[in-house]
Amino acid sequence: MPDESLQPDPDEDLVARARSGDTRAFDALILKYGEKLYGLVYNMTSHKEDTHDLLQEIFAKAYQSLPRFRGQSSFYTWIYQIAVNMTLNFLKKRKRRGGMSLNELDSSVQQDPALIDSSHMANPEKQSKLHELQKRLNEAMLSLSEAHRTVVTMFDIQGIPHAEIARILKTSEGTVRSRLHYAHLHLQSKLQDYWE
Amino acid sequence: MKPTVEEIGTLLALKRHERPEEGYFDEFLREFHQRRRAEEASKKGVAGWWKQTSEWFSNLGASKWAYGGGLAYATIAAVWLLAPKDSDFQQAPAPTNVGHEVKAPAPVVEQLDALDLRPSTQGSTGEQEF
Repeated sequence: MPDESLQPDPDEDLVARARSGDTRAFDALILKYGEKLYGLVYNMTSHKEDTHDLLQEIFAKAYQSLPRFRGQSSFYTWIYQIAVNMTLNFLKKRKRRGGMSLNELDSSVQQDPALIDSSHMANPEKQSKLHELQKRLNEAMLSLSEAHRTVVTMFDIQGIPHAEIARILKTSEGTVRSRLHYAHLHLQSKLQDYWE
Repeated sequence: MKPTVEEIGTLLALKRHERPEEGYFDEFLREFHQRRRAEEASKKGVAGWWKQTSEWFSNLGASKWAYGGGLAYATIAAVWLLAPKDSDFQQAPAPTNVGHEVKAPAPVVEQLDALDLRPSTQGSTGEQEF
C-alpha cells in the first residue's frame, strides 16, 4: 500500500487558494470531484433528488471544514470520507423514516446509453431482459447492508482500489476484501433467477 | 444459474456510465453559491451587514466623503419632507354639525311621588313616632 503522505497532493494549490477565500478554486474542486461523488451518492441512495441535496450538503460541509483540513490525507480522500459519512448518516435517517419503496427508485439507469446499445434496441426481447436485470441489480444493491453497498459502489462501480477504499473508510484492506466477498455472494444469489 | 463474480463485476461496472445530465454542474455551482451566501448572511445577521457596510465604506477612499455628504443631505431632505408641518394642521377640515339633534339620555331620577313617605303607624317596639 503506497504511503499517501509521501506523495504530494495534486490539489494542494487549489485547496490553499480555496482556504484563503478563492471561491473559484473551490469551484474547480467541485468540478473535478463532483461527478465521482455524484456516482458514489447516487449508487448508494438510488434517488436523484436525494443525491442532489446530499451533494450540495457534502460540498457545503467541505467548504466550511476547509480551514480545519490539515493535509494529512489528500483532498480526494478527505472529501470522499465526508461524502461516505454523510451518505451513511442520510441512509440511517431514511431507514428510520421507513425506508423507500421500490417504486420510488429511479429508473434512469434503464435509459443509460451504455446499457442499451443498438443491437439491444433492435431486439426488444433482449432489451426488456436487460432492463429487468438492471432493475434486479438495483434491488439487490439496495438489499445489501450500507457497509457492503459502500464497498461495492466504490470498488465495482467506481473502480477505486482496495487500499484507497480502506483509507477512505478508515479500515483495513482485509475488511474491505471481506466485505466485497460477502457482497458478491449476496448479489450472485439475488440475481441467479434472472441469469441465463 | 448463478452469475460469476466477474459477470457481477461487469454488470456493476456498466453503472459507471450513470452521470448527471449535461450542464448539471453549472446549475449545481449556482445553487451552491446561492446557498452559501444565504447561510453566511443568516449567520452574520445585522452585525455582519454593518461590518460589511463599514468595510465597503472605508474601502472607498477619498470618495467616501462625497458619499457621506450625499447620504447626510438625503437624510436631512427626507426628514424635512416627511416631518409634519403647521400648515398640515391649519388645512385640516373644520368639524361640521351633524344633521340631527343628539339627545343625552335622561338621568334616572327616583320620583318622590312614588315614594311612600308617610310615617309608619305600625312601628316596631322601640321605634319613635313623629
